[in-house]
Amino acid sequence: MSTPTIDKPGTTGTGTALIDIQNLSVAFGTGAKAVTAVHDVTLAVEPGEIYALVGESGCGKSTLAYSLLDIVPPPGEIVGGDITFQGTSTTSLTKQQMNKLRGAEMTMVFQGAMNAFNPVLTIGKQVQHILQAHPEVYKDPKEGRAYFNHLLELVQLSPDRIWRAYESQLSGGMKQRVAIAVALLLKPSLVVLDEPTTALDVLNQRLVIDILKDLHQTLGVTIIFVTHDLAVVAELATRVAVMYAGRLVETGTVQEIFTAKRRHPYVEALINAIPSVLNSGLKVKPIGGSVPNLAALPPGCKFAPRCRLAEDICREVEPPLIDVNNHRVACHVVNRDVTEVSPISEASETTADATSLRKSAAPDHEPNEKEATL
Amino acid sequence: MSQVEVRDVSHTYASGNGRPVLHHVNLSAEPGEIIALVGESGCGKTTLGRLIAGLYEPSSGTISYEGEDIAKLRGKARMQWRRKVQMIHQDPYGSLNPGLTLGSTLAPGLIGHKLATSRTVEPLMLELLEQVGLDATPEFLQRYPHQLSGGQRQRFSIARAISLQPEFIVADEVTSMLDVSMRVAILDLLLKFTTDRQLGYVFISHDFGVVRYFAQGGRIVVMFYGYIVETGPTEEVITAPKHPYTRLLLESIPVPDPSQADRRDGEQSAEGRLIREPSDTGCAFVDRCPMAQQICRTTRPPLLDTGGGHYAACHFADSVPPLNRLLGPAA
Repeated sequence: MSTPTIDKPGTTGTGTALIDIQNLSVAFGTGAKAVTAVHDVTLAVEPGEIYALVGESGCGKSTLAYSLLDIVPPPGEIVGGDITFQGTSTTSLTKQQMNKLRGAEMTMVFQGAMNAFNPVLTIGKQVQHILQAHPEVYKDPKEGRAYFNHLLELVQLSPDRIWRAYESQLSGGMKQRVAIAVALLLKPSLVVLDEPTTALDVLNQRLVIDILKDLHQTLGVTIIFVTHDLAVVAELATRVAVMYAGRLVETGTVQEIFTAKRRHPYVEALINAIPSVLNSGLKVKPIGGSVPNLAALPPGCKFAPRCRLAEDICREVEPPLIDVNNHRVACHVVNRDVTEVSPISEASETTADATSLRKSAAPDHEPNEKEATL
Repeated sequence: MSQVEVRDVSHTYASGNGRPVLHHVNLSAEPGEIIALVGESGCGKTTLGRLIAGLYEPSSGTISYEGEDIAKLRGKARMQWRRKVQMIHQDPYGSLNPGLTLGSTLAPGLIGHKLATSRTVEPLMLELLEQVGLDATPEFLQRYPHQLSGGQRQRFSIARAISLQPEFIVADEVTSMLDVSMRVAILDLLLKFTTDRQLGYVFISHDFGVVRYFAQGGRIVVMFYGYIVETGPTEEVITAPKHPYTRLLLESIPVPDPSQADRRDGEQSAEGRLIREPSDTGCAFVDRCPMAQQICRTTRPPLLDTGGGHYAACHFADSVPPLNRLLGPAA
């Protein structure tokens, strides 16, 4: 088992994507009652990135993360699109092949690491079980244990103490760090973390952020994490995807998300809604209204009912994600000034300019349509 | 006379490891004052809040409300005090009875405290729903907690807390389980009652951003493993911390600004500083403290006034450097 090495961890590669999501849709339930939690998401994560999936509760960010490992809890299932991991389409793999991939090549740290361990077995015993289940990674389990000890040191825990400990003997912050070490045990090239800092206090949040940055540097592992906390995004991520009502509304580098002029109004509102220690709070503005019900979405832009920039077109036509230098925004209003656009689709037709796009945007965007036709 | 007076309170949980969770804590709150309790998990902030709300009695020391020791209140006086001091819990999922409709959650308190009769209770409940921004209809009162979103549940918890016209509320991490977009709205709702009704708050949080917003004009109390290590006016504690632990908390906060995050180099916390256990002799913080000297290992620093109502328990309170990025207005 070889670990992919990355020449320059921390930099965005230009080669092929580690994981490539094309027009992915995930739905819960069937027929008239079906709720689409993830709708037509196209996203590529390059090796060596720290990619943040951000949004409010119910925006589909966790479901998207689960679908990467093909572990969407039933009745949820992938109903459209494709995921390619290291050049292989994971949707075409058998259950067994997927099981091998999961754990060895991609792993997940779930939200609430407090409940991730078996309370009646020591951490050491549980690690041994993992090593037994994946003999292809370490021929000698001792090698695996040595590597686990090394990982524990990287997450600033004492190896001997943790090996013998039961989960009840560890604090919440320690459990989170053990869970991260376990996720890295089989030297995966991708780790997905669901809300890694959410249940922790400020000091443990800082520790987990520093540790993840450090692991990313030393091991060159690619990280995808899900969060609702934009402050954690600013501290940790290299690239960001913001979701709203199951859709991508903006993707870009962390600098673009926080400072670019062309930003989705939702992203801007979200950033302005954070009570931050950096200011005394006078500038903080809550977002009016609430997240839409996924079972009864409005037509057009899903954010339009809460948007300060909303116009008639926003309430009628769903805005496409417009890509400018790898910074994608789905908003009729802010994309108006964009002169050169390249709609996100494999059919890379010549770029249309924004004016003609706006005029021709009238044909309805069929929700089930797989190929983006603009 | 202070509204709430905590005097020399220590507390040890009978079920715990025998280590006190609070050590000789003193605290007083004036009517309408907002006091924010800040510290890491396990620092005793929730225990102190619960003692003030009377959920249990302290192992030693007294807590008084309007001059009366709450442990000694009986009968009518106890009933009155119970009405005046309310608590809002962190978890809006765990703090509402799943088997009761919203109406049957609110009504017994109102009727029991003679604020309404069975005939007048419904309009009063609708008024409360209105005040917290919920759908003020009789149908809404028929709902069960599981039919509400997290934000709606927390609004309802607030409605329940204010329903008895309290004078003082203990709010324990009320926004930590809510979406970012909803936090400010909930904080604004709570703040509205300080101006409308002169409500006093003990506001428990580990999030300095939320604290700086909520406790504007109020006071911050920083706790470390059962000790109050610093207390002072909100803006002062944040811009001019007098205890190295407060500074460590402040510099640890993730900030929603990538350019600030890059500038963090140089203030990186040394390994282990974040997670060491408290010391039993001298200053409890000594093993984590970058400024520790010999005296800190031998002598526990008392909580002393550094001027202007800003107290700190540190031998070197005047040498704690401020965090530059917190001084100016946000870029």
